[in-house]
Amino acid sequence: MLQYYFKLSLKNISRQKGLSVLISTTLGLGIAACMITYSLIHLMSKDPLPNKSERVFHIQFDNWQLGLAAIAPDLPPDEVTWRDAMNIVHAKQAKYQAANAITWGMVTPADKNIPPFLGIIRATHGEFFPMFKVPFLYGQGWQNFPANNVEYVTVLSKSTNKRIFGGLNSVGQTLPMLGKLFTVVGVLDDWHPSPKFFDMSFGAFYQPEDIYLPLQIKSELELPHGGNLNCWETNIADDYQAILNSECVNLNLWVELPSAQNKQQYENFLKAYVEQQKALGRFPKAINNQLLDINQWLAHKEVVSADMYVFFYLALLFLLVCLFNAASLMSTKFTAKNSEVALRRALGANQQSIFAQCLTETSILGGLGALIGLVLCIFGLQGITYLYPNFSAFVSLDMTLMLITVCISLVSSILAGLIPIIKVCRLAPASYLK
Amino acid sequence: MITKVKKYISQLPFARIAYRPMFSTLLRQKYAMTVLILQIALTLAVISNGLFIASQRLDILQRTSGIDENNTFVLTSSGFTENFDPKTSMQTDLAEFRQMPTIIDAVATYSFPFSGSSEWDDLRPLLGNEQNSVPASSYKLDEHGINALGLSLIAGENFSPSEVLWQTESNKTIPNVVIITTSVAEGLFHTQDWSSLVGKTIFINEAHSAIIKGIVLQLQAPWDPVGQIENSIIYPRVVTRNSARYLIRTKPAMLQSTIAEVERHLGMSNQQRMIRKVQTIQTLRKEVYGPDIAAITILLVVITTLSIIAAMGIGGITSFNVLQRHKQIGIRRALGANKIDILSQFFAENIMQTSAGIFIGCIFAVGLNMFLVAQYALPKLPFIYIIFAALCLYVLGILATLKPALRAMNVSPAEATRSQ
Repeated sequence: MLQYYFKLSLKNISRQKGLSVLISTTLGLGIAACMITYSLIHLMSKDPLPNKSERVFHIQFDNWQLGLAAIAPDLPPDEVTWRDAMNIVHAKQAKYQAANAITWGMVTPADKNIPPFLGIIRATHGEFFPMFKVPFLYGQGWQNFPANNVEYVTVLSKSTNKRIFGGLNSVGQTLPMLGKLFTVVGVLDDWHPSPKFFDMSFGAFYQPEDIYLPLQIKSELELPHGGNLNCWETNIADDYQAILNSECVNLNLWVELPSAQNKQQYENFLKAYVEQQKALGRFPKAINNQLLDINQWLAHKEVVSADMYVFFYLALLFLLVCLFNAASLMSTKFTAKNSEVALRRALGANQQSIFAQCLTETSILGGLGALIGLVLCIFGLQGITYLYPNFSAFVSLDMTLMLITVCISLVSSILAGLIPIIKVCRLAPASYLK
Repeated sequence: MITKVKKYISQLPFARIAYRPMFSTLLRQKYAMTVLILQIALTLAVISNGLFIASQRLDILQRTSGIDENNTFVLTSSGFTENFDPKTSMQTDLAEFRQMPTIIDAVATYSFPFSGSSEWDDLRPLLGNEQNSVPASSYKLDEHGINALGLSLIAGENFSPSEVLWQTESNKTIPNVVIITTSVAEGLFHTQDWSSLVGKTIFINEAHSAIIKGIVLQLQAPWDPVGQIENSIIYPRVVTRNSARYLIRTKPAMLQSTIAEVERHLGMSNQQRMIRKVQTIQTLRKEVYGPDIAAITILLVVITTLSIIAAMGIGGITSFNVLQRHKQIGIRRALGANKIDILSQFFAENIMQTSAGIFIGCIFAVGLNMFLVAQYALPKLPFIYIIFAALCLYVLGILATLKPALRAMNVSPAEATRSQ
């Protein structure tokens, strides 16, 4: 029976070619608009560390001046000071702990055929790598070094390793940079977290760094302070160490706890830490520690910009207009078929079979709409990466989204066709048979 | 006289439309009309809000930065050897740039409009005066800065060479003269009499004092975290680092040729450094305003497509009506209605539908805007955008009705005698 409906529907559709294409295109357009905006929001807010994001925390302290807010209305700064970062990391109260910051410096490969270049550096404690599940191609990271005992080791990104060592396993090799000699201990595989949650001072989406170094190297070699450097004190001395000992915040501090249940315990530890620092004359404001897990942190940094949500709501309304449009076109389509339906009724088809046949026809149109929608989606996402070059690292059409698209298209075609179908089923055949 | 006018009016096509029967015809097609009217209403809501957001972004794109954007480029020279002398290198480079015939002027600076990072200082007209605190992004330029950026100095004087401090990165001595923008001047002293402000003292970060030496009309901040993009202060300082960033202003239409020449020259003059990040202000500007350009593009695509879809919907329904009423039209024509009467009937129908849609659409538009205001802190929608969108929809409706209405007009009166 279904086969017969199908055949009949195809016949009808090919008879009303123009109208059918119009209905499918309208549906396809509406769905594409919705899916493009939805997939952007979906991709931007995707959990960067599935399975452990709820127990990896970003730590903030309010070390700001009394009466001033680091971030309005009264939030602690996003970053922490050098001193706090070192104290918390060396206290080792969590499973993993690491502070990180961006910096840069000249890389001068020993091979004279490779021109020197300015390397963008992520300076971090070694537990950064296991905490963020950073994939290694060769070797591994380093342990968190104790305060005054740092080794000149480095981890290279895949592309840097290719640039300097031709992509070979370079673990154990030495690399001159920043005027010192470093030993390569690891090479990363492709790694481009989007959003780049662990330091969003350059926005949520920017290139991965070329080189990873132990954080203490930054102080030893007095490397520049990249990212945000926010200070409230006005009388900081001129030398580099003075900045490190000041209340200037620059480092993103992260910890991983064994489980989310340990949060309370860790909060107590942080509270005790701030109280101890208060006793030393720091932290003039009331205790205002913030412990945000990754997803809370992404929400706090508003990774998905308001623009995206506005586009999404406009696209929803767009889909609604397309639905109404398709509905009115369907009503035209079925009204034009009144006499045919009447004939079929007179020849013995009951209301159910007319209903089923019409439903098959709208579903086919919906399927066609889904196809058009998918094609438009692919082109649309291409357009999006052209408009937002930063997004190209993560924008793609995934399987789930494709399935959702097809489902929405079928549901909307049925919604659009339902009332016209009911009307056509209920009509009295007699008046059309004259 | 009055009867004459009345008679004339009654002969106009629109006056002869029988509105009541038309109205009841429309009411009989309840489903089709509801769907059409809702479609028009939603289209109005989206178009008016979309146009409003797009026009706000356009305003941002159109603002000027105060510098000669079309003829300026920047590049970085990074020294990497141990005996590289940043100060000498910088002084030689700048002297050579300034001698080149196609270059108007050049300056060494890490911040310029669209560079994306800068320090912000807290300025006050009096010490301890909390209320009059004005944030300003800081520029460090030598006496060539004003000319190289192409700023217009509207009061006071430029720095003299002797006032410029050459500093290393850790040296944070603040000079005792500064140049500020009009926006800072007004924020600090609440006056527009610029020349009266030259020579006044201001306090920087509650610790230093400096005298206003000049006022420039406009110089936008390199980035704007605080919503005060017009607030800038210029210090006569040059900071020397191994990596120097040069900003070079060329004569009109000489930008591309000068870039090539400068690159060639720098590549040869000093082998202890590398040249990188050669960018024109125009490309940087496009990067900075990228999201706004993207938003405008997306909104315009949505608005255009939506208009086409709405027009298709209106056109579709009208064609269908024409088809359905073939016989009825024939009868009317046979009974004496002329072609214009038929045409105007369809237009009148369309205008009625559009008006109903617009009426509901106003409510939708305001509702959507209220939602966006509450959720995403967008500004309130001015009514003019709704009026504009409504006019667009009327024009769109008439255009969409045109083709089917013309077909209806040409239905022959003989149609009345045929059976369906």
